[in-house]
Amino acid sequence: MQSKERKLETSVSDKKENIEDMKKEKDPNYWRSFEELYAKKEFLAEKNNEFKDGTTTAPVLSEMSAFSRRKFLALLGASAAFAGTACSDYYDKGEIVPYNKKPEEITLGKANYYASVCNGCSSACGVLIKTREGRPIKVDGNPDHPVSKGKICLQGQASIMDLYDPDRLQSPLKKVQNRFEETDWESVDKQIGIALSTIGEKEIAIITNQLTSPTENKVLDEFTTRNPTAKVYSYEQFNETVRNSAWKKCCGTNTFPLLKWNEAKLILSLDADFLGTDPNRIENTRLFAESRDVMNKKFNRLYVVEGNLSLTGMNADYRLRLRPDVQYNFVMSVINELQKRDVISTNVDASGYTLAKMVDEFGLSEKSLNYLLIDLKKNKGKTIIYAGDHLEEKVHIAVNLLNDALGNTKLYDSQSTKVSVRFLSSLDDLKILVSRISSGKVGMVIHYGSNPAYNFPADLNYSDVIKSVENVISLTEIINESANLSSYILPINHTFESWGDSKVRTGFYALQQPVIAPLYNTRQKESILLAWMMGDKSFNESLYHEYLISNWKDNIYPTLNSNIEFKTYWYGVLHDGVARSNDKPDEIGTFNYSVSGELNSSNQTVSGIAVQIKESYSLRDGRFANNGWLQESPHPVSKVTWDNYAAISKTTADKIGVENNDLLELKVNEKTLSIPAFVQPGLANDFILIETGYGRTAAGSVGSDVGFNANNLYTSTGGFTPWLYSDVNVNKLPGSYKLVVAQAIYDFTANNKKDLPEKRGIIKEGTVDEYLKDSHFLHRNEKHHLESVNPPIPYEGLKWGMSIDLNKCLGCSECFIACNVENNIPIVGKDQVEVGREMHWLRIDRYYSGTPEDPQVSTQPMLCQHCDQAPCENVCPVVATTHSPDGLNQMIYNRCVGTRYCSNNCPYKVRRFNFFNFRDHFNDAHQESPVFALLHNPEVTVRSRGVMEKCTFCIQRIMDARSDATKDGREIKGSDVKTACQEACVTNAIQFGDINNKQEEFYKYRNHELGYYVLEHLNIRPNVTYIAKLKNIHPEDA
Amino acid sequence: MAVDYSVEPTLVKGRLSLAEIEELVVAPLDSKPNKKYLIALAVSVTALLIGGALLLLTFYYGIGLWGNNEPVGWGFGIVNFVFWIGIGHAGTLISAILFLLRQKWRTGIARFAEAMTIFAVMCAGLFPIIHMGRPWLGGYLLPYPNQHGLWVNFNSPLVWDVFAVSTYLTVSLVFWYVGLIPDFATLRDRTVSKIKKTIYSIFSLGWRHSNRHWQHYEKAYVILAGFATPLVLSVHTIVSFDFAVSVLPGWHTTIFPPYFVAGAIFSGFAMVVTVLVFVRKIFDLQNIITMDHLEKMNKVILATSMMVGLAYGTEFFMAWYSGVSEEQFAFVNRMFGPYSWAYWIMVSCNVLFPQLFWVRKIRRSIPLMMMIVIFVNVGMWFERFVIIVTSLHRDFLPSSWGMFIPTMYDAGILLGSFGLFFTLVILFTKSLPVVSIAEIKAVSDGAQPSHHGGNGYE
Repeated sequence: MQSKERKLETSVSDKKENIEDMKKEKDPNYWRSFEELYAKKEFLAEKNNEFKDGTTTAPVLSEMSAFSRRKFLALLGASAAFAGTACSDYYDKGEIVPYNKKPEEITLGKANYYASVCNGCSSACGVLIKTREGRPIKVDGNPDHPVSKGKICLQGQASIMDLYDPDRLQSPLKKVQNRFEETDWESVDKQIGIALSTIGEKEIAIITNQLTSPTENKVLDEFTTRNPTAKVYSYEQFNETVRNSAWKKCCGTNTFPLLKWNEAKLILSLDADFLGTDPNRIENTRLFAESRDVMNKKFNRLYVVEGNLSLTGMNADYRLRLRPDVQYNFVMSVINELQKRDVISTNVDASGYTLAKMVDEFGLSEKSLNYLLIDLKKNKGKTIIYAGDHLEEKVHIAVNLLNDALGNTKLYDSQSTKVSVRFLSSLDDLKILVSRISSGKVGMVIHYGSNPAYNFPADLNYSDVIKSVENVISLTEIINESANLSSYILPINHTFESWGDSKVRTGFYALQQPVIAPLYNTRQKESILLAWMMGDKSFNESLYHEYLISNWKDNIYPTLNSNIEFKTYWYGVLHDGVARSNDKPDEIGTFNYSVSGELNSSNQTVSGIAVQIKESYSLRDGRFANNGWLQESPHPVSKVTWDNYAAISKTTADKIGVENNDLLELKVNEKTLSIPAFVQPGLANDFILIETGYGRTAAGSVGSDVGFNANNLYTSTGGFTPWLYSDVNVNKLPGSYKLVVAQAIYDFTANNKKDLPEKRGIIKEGTVDEYLKDSHFLHRNEKHHLESVNPPIPYEGLKWGMSIDLNKCLGCSECFIACNVENNIPIVGKDQVEVGREMHWLRIDRYYSGTPEDPQVSTQPMLCQHCDQAPCENVCPVVATTHSPDGLNQMIYNRCVGTRYCSNNCPYKVRRFNFFNFRDHFNDAHQESPVFALLHNPEVTVRSRGVMEKCTFCIQRIMDARSDATKDGREIKGSDVKTACQEACVTNAIQFGDINNKQEEFYKYRNHELGYYVLEHLNIRPNVTYIAKLKNIHPEDA
Repeated sequence: MAVDYSVEPTLVKGRLSLAEIEELVVAPLDSKPNKKYLIALAVSVTALLIGGALLLLTFYYGIGLWGNNEPVGWGFGIVNFVFWIGIGHAGTLISAILFLLRQKWRTGIARFAEAMTIFAVMCAGLFPIIHMGRPWLGGYLLPYPNQHGLWVNFNSPLVWDVFAVSTYLTVSLVFWYVGLIPDFATLRDRTVSKIKKTIYSIFSLGWRHSNRHWQHYEKAYVILAGFATPLVLSVHTIVSFDFAVSVLPGWHTTIFPPYFVAGAIFSGFAMVVTVLVFVRKIFDLQNIITMDHLEKMNKVILATSMMVGLAYGTEFFMAWYSGVSEEQFAFVNRMFGPYSWAYWIMVSCNVLFPQLFWVRKIRRSIPLMMMIVIFVNVGMWFERFVIIVTSLHRDFLPSSWGMFIPTMYDAGILLGSFGLFFTLVILFTKSLPVVSIAEIKAVSDGAQPSHHGGNGYE
């Protein structure tokens, strides 16, 4: 075939030539050149062979211009494109650059977790910090840490915001003529070096918070060795010194033992908020809730005798209102009554105290007191009696005595005790310091991470006195009151940028490691001191890191008796965050009954109004004031946000003639404080409680001038203790101040509002006795099964659900903060909370019932219930809220136009609307500063103005677990996912999982006989099961 | 008083000739605006601009400038929407339903009422858009094919609203315009200005008053009237579904559709009377819009007032009878809760004061009538406020209860909507005949062929 074609071609071309020739002959007149005309032979030959070699040549690449046509066109196009885009306002100003060389440990989109230690307070909990692409975004407890066991307090969780606080100092400041100027570390080191070397005989006072780190303590020790005039003062405004000194008198050892709350059958709390503000509250809470267990039908009984309504009081089975300054009388009366009944016998003569008198004088319930005595008798050896830190020493002595007499010493933990690397300075030490300062004997004061100008007792006048000191140096993250009085402000690393270790208990050490390089030109506070000791230019980034390693290698590691080589051991400890040690706990000494001589037998009389100053639930002693999440977190009892107040009972308020928001003036020891009143149900009469931590004048753009400074009343002398004052002069001031409450205040005793939560099926409660008699008692009276008009949509596979055990839920707000951090919840500010626009996806509802004097309190975490027949879904006009096949109620932000109909139609009112761009709205767009953006969880959309949002059941975590399951080639299981609130709940009250999987632990919770749905009668089929709370009260009392 | 029922009462008073009627109606169109007119216009435009400025600020900063919050997601925005939709009910009722019922007295007020309907619906239509968090995405409420494959939720009453209101506006507008065609032709024939002539010529669609034109016109008008009639009932029914479809106590009730429709007619008539009293005085139309007209409207107001009152009572009965404690609480809370003042304003304005219309003298007294209809307007606004705000502010969970406190933006935008309405009304009185010339001529004395006498013209 092919050859044939070729032949054909040649024959055609042959023919053509012939024709050409013929034409030439026929028509010679058409010529193009003389050569052609004369038919020159060479010409004709050439003409017939137009393409012979040499006439034209094939292109030779090497000889061609490097600038090809293709390249020319490419460049032309590119320059046109560049010209087009460069001249326009290109939208994306950010840079997204992939890793060029991928770090070994980072996988984009996957979180890394690092064990470390939280330095937020003296508890030094072990934490696990979640980082994404190198930036920490969430903090949880370290599960390997023997105290934290995977849980930390709200401050610890919220402290992630402090790391990215835009108010953080970014370089050292030096005071020049009453204002601060930026300077550099070299000159600071040099000038302070000179100051230190010329200090002479004058004292160098280092004021620090309680130290928990042995290595840091060593640095301070070395500093004092090198500078012999240096003296370290460690100070905490709220501490256990009274408890410990009483213990020392009773049993000889330095620290009050740890308690086995989980083994107690009966707990009597005397004005002690051991679940709320106690330094050890995380462990207390966990152990306490172990005995509030419906699954194993194990219940302790909690009596609380207290002045204010505390978090602990909210959870009491029996609560008695008693002003704290007569707690001594109460304990002595109990001792007396027990002695009379021959339950105990001691060498104390308490006959002057009778409970009958207490009943008469303070209106205590006789019935409850009687139960208390019966229970104390019945539970000998299984009771914990625990008094508040703010009560006088003799109360603690009496309590210790009572515990001993009842044989409750069994519940003192002999396995472990608290350890202090450096004991706190006494108030007398501080007084000496201040007098030395005023007499000019102090040449330098170093505020080593502390804020004495705010936290020191007011009568010391620290802010005035300090002005006479030549060199005042503040080591701080953010400007504070003390820093403003300093000549140098040196910015220090945040905890998460620092190295360190901690020793708070016998039995283990914990190690702290940085999870991000310092964001600013800051230094770790230990290395600042080290650099001063080692002289000029000795500072380098790893100064303290190396110091820490060498201290461990030389001093700590040898004591641990490890047979692993140090380097491996070190990395192991870094990974775990904890190193076991075998130091022995203090022996719990035998009770020294001679101490009972301190207990006098004359009845103590009180008059006037008692005032207690208490650590704030959210801001602690004020050090968390610039944390918006904490400022906006509602008080667990009163639900007030962004302020402190004088809590006062209705009776006392009426007596003084004040209502909510009216200003009160309190006067004690010539110190005055004006503060708005807040009528708190359940408060003892003639008693006012004020939380401190507020009223900071220099705390940053969020925390400054929020609330009232209760430390104005806090003095080193004059009260029962620095935290408790009797006979306080209280007057009504003209004017008022608006307190903002995040939950509606209504008269819960009014006819149509009485017991509303119970009537509406929001709160269902029972008693332990009822439950033990009939475990199905809760649903006995349910009349009929609710039918739906539409056939229910079947969910056969995995379907998500949650259960919340209200027996374990204490209303502490841990879950609430965890949700804020996990889900990028904006802070809206006081003005917006006031108009009801807080953005919290999860809130803790608190309901009162009974009388305003002695209310019962019920708490209930409320979040999106992910109803099967969700009323929000069918009313959305644009299908922006839908149901997923695994039972989630979803919110599609991009599609949401913001009609707010869904929120109106939500019976639980858990939907939150972005009325503004809240990040821009609040305080000059504080939350829009670029550093704040680093805080956000990258897996959760930052919502824009005008869209609705709500709890997603942490869908980002579900998706993460699902992708892991897919990668491993298995089906996702309910237990693969832990929501943020569940993870944070100290008592494990929140469970999450697959409703349909009968094999899972969650199934038991979901189908518990005490389980109920809120507003079940609406038949919208919510997927959050609440397990009804059981009060452990005497059966005849129910 | 003895009434002779064998004689049809005269609808046009003052023995006006056809030419006089025409002159009277078009007089405002021929004259230059006087000072009073300009002052009135300036006042309403100012109100409009205030509303507009506050609205722009709302667009810029967000709905947070309003008083809305959790739990009161809907505040003035939806109150105003329902209020204006209600106002917009009288027009179509008068022009369509009364037309089908052969109520000839409607001719004097129909045009004006229809115009008010359109303006009111325009005001109303604004609010659902501006109350949204992201009003620039309002188009998402329309079912249009898109590359995302997204569709609207036909289960949601808000989508029904979109259709109900837009249909109502369209039909009302067409109905109004069809009624205007013969008048446009009249105006075209009268005018000497070239520009006006061109405009009128375009809008009159070549109308030549021919017999055939009239035949077609009458048929079209009846069909449109038939078409508009169900809309009068449906629009407010659907608006009431916005509430009735929810699960909220105080909203979730089947009485809402008739209750809302009665309320809408009630408020619509009140607004028509309010404005007509001025218009007939200012433009000297007392002979065309007579006291008889006003009285008849007052009778409608009286009737609907009692329907509304019955509905209020029924709601309470149902709350008690149903045994639903949340429902009972919601209604007790309406009467005695923090917003009880709003409830009592509503009851007194809507039920008590209109009872005065039983007295003929009051029905026919301009000052008293004015007082009552203004009360009705206020009362009906508060009715929506009561339904929306008091139901929302205390619903199921006492923990999430709250209060709604309107801000100046809420008040200003409400003012602005009145500004918009009255600006349009005022412009309308000067640019189009406020009474249908053709129709009023047809019902004037002597216009109808008669064999049996009775009107004195024979």
